[in-house]
Amino acid sequence: MSATYTYDGTFASFLTALDLALEKNLPDSSLARETETEAGLFSEFISAGSDPVKAARARDLVESRGSAESWQHVRFAFLSEVRGSETAILEYVNLLAAKGPIADSMLADDRVKKVHTLAASVGGETHMFKGFVRFKELADKTLYSKIEPDHNILPLLTPHFRARLGEFNWVIHDAKRGKAAFYFDKRLIYAPLTAERALEFDGKEAEVQTLWKHFFKTAAIKERTNPKLQRQNVPLKYRKHLTEFE
Amino acid sequence: MDLEKKLEILADSAKYDASCASSGSDRGGAGGTGSAHMSGVCHSWAADGRCISLLKILMTNECVYDCAYCINRRSNDSPKAILTPDEIAGLTFEFYKRNYIEGLFLSSGIVVSPDRTMELMIEAVRKLREIFRFNGYVHMKVIPGANQDLIDQAGLWADRVSVNIELPTDKSLRLLAPGKTKATVLGPMSRLAQRISASKDERRSIKSSPAFAPAGQSTQLIIGATPETDREIIKLSEALYDKMRLKRVYYSAFVPVSKDNRLPALIEPPLLREHRLYQADWLLRFYGFTADELLDEKHPTLDLSFDPKTVWALNNLDKFPLEVNKASYEEILRVPGIGVTSAKRILRARRAAPLSLDDLKKLGVVMKRATYFVTAGGKYRGLKKDSGEAIKIKLLEHKNPNGQLDLFGEKALVKEGLTGTVTGQL
Repeated sequence: MSATYTYDGTFASFLTALDLALEKNLPDSSLARETETEAGLFSEFISAGSDPVKAARARDLVESRGSAESWQHVRFAFLSEVRGSETAILEYVNLLAAKGPIADSMLADDRVKKVHTLAASVGGETHMFKGFVRFKELADKTLYSKIEPDHNILPLLTPHFRARLGEFNWVIHDAKRGKAAFYFDKRLIYAPLTAERALEFDGKEAEVQTLWKHFFKTAAIKERTNPKLQRQNVPLKYRKHLTEFE
Repeated sequence: MDLEKKLEILADSAKYDASCASSGSDRGGAGGTGSAHMSGVCHSWAADGRCISLLKILMTNECVYDCAYCINRRSNDSPKAILTPDEIAGLTFEFYKRNYIEGLFLSSGIVVSPDRTMELMIEAVRKLREIFRFNGYVHMKVIPGANQDLIDQAGLWADRVSVNIELPTDKSLRLLAPGKTKATVLGPMSRLAQRISASKDERRSIKSSPAFAPAGQSTQLIIGATPETDREIIKLSEALYDKMRLKRVYYSAFVPVSKDNRLPALIEPPLLREHRLYQADWLLRFYGFTADELLDEKHPTLDLSFDPKTVWALNNLDKFPLEVNKASYEEILRVPGIGVTSAKRILRARRAAPLSLDDLKKLGVVMKRATYFVTAGGKYRGLKKDSGEAIKIKLLEHKNPNGQLDLFGEKALVKEGLTGTVTGQL
């Protein structure tokens, strides 16, 4: 009989589940979000809860058997929110525990490749959104942006905008996950944000948007028109919140 | 004229400059607004598939020169506009805080004199830096013929500076750009090179000394307006990288923006040739190739059917196949189908375990090209006979898998040239 350790969706609970699975070390064990488990005849569900001591132990194992790089892989792969990523991380950490830091060099091993690929996908989307976030200025001068990324990249994006727009108040709203990063008076907090009030924009906002749209249109060289290449670089799914494609 | 109209005219005139990079600087931190990102950030892509990273505009499209290839030449009677330093700084800031852009790319036609033009451009960037306390990326064009002091000031305000060579030989310059000579272009370029390298040295000993164009300098060459060969162009680029320490040379397929009997009658811009030149350029900068290895006097033209690395490999079959478990990084980089990323992965992965041919695919190697040039653990899946011609035919079949083998592979090639982006992975 196989065991599935379930967690409540938070990283701390995930690490608790990871620690439990590593401790029991049963073959065929897996990890899954509580809301994503399917009842199976032959599997047992164990709810991990959230235990800071166990979570810290899991992190410590990753960093001591692997490296800072391994920890980043785990963190990024978790943020991918891809189905099955949790179990992939478990298998990867098991390999780290067995082989030590050399595991991160076993790039052709599927257990390593899976987690590295997930982490790279999250890192890649984060980089893209450093470009794709579009702020609109509200009447109270707050800069507001709405995004719907595939992965949960909000916590990876905020340091960039903090360094860049530290003298402004801003909100980055992940509409897909119903939460937002609020940066006010140089303090950053994360909070749920679902119900959307009608936004009231600054008087100059529409004019600046028009200027930007004009610039965007003019920047293309007619003789080189290449919509396929444009689609490769700005996939249609990301265009919804890009001012220049509105 | 309202700002909207001015922006349209001045963005339209600036768009033929291929430079889009916002990389190479890590400005920011101490107060103010903005930061520059070491690896650069693209914010959007225009309908031609080119990245938009900077507000790329001219200060003015008026010009005292009459260069045949240039949309802003004096004899072109298109509408003229000029932006004031305040307008430039204000617009950049409004765009930047909405995260439309990484910063400003400021070029200009020549109004009154090169010195006066530079003064106004510097004033715009100074305002942006001092009044708006802007720490984002700024790329400034240096106007050929401007006073040395002004060139020095530009380097202190900007992250990157550039002077466009545009035409690769003095002869072509004389023909198409009667106001310019090689000396007026190379003079400021070498001045900038000296200042950049001096500032780097100073900052090594005294960290607080001012940075001079910390993201270095670049230039642009127009491809296909004049009869220079690819070899002449790539040799020039090599010299610019080695002697002037340039960060980038951009190649811009000539788009006929005017009818002039000094210009060739092109139906469409030579995009595939431009693509091949970028590939050759990448081979110089990241793959350890020299210009002479890629092109010689007998073969001065890049092959349009194959990328330059494949051509080199086919001409050097005696060096292949390479055993990927033993070969050096430098050797592995020369295998068609292996880029910088996969070469690094091979070196890392083989420390953990010997690699098989199937492993290579997992590391990101393009096996349909690499298969003829590598062994792994002694295993080889290429062609029995070391025949360059046979490999060529196989490689062309891969490019054109659906239809009949068309001998020149033209359709596939045009497609490759048009959709290819410059990723540097060959």
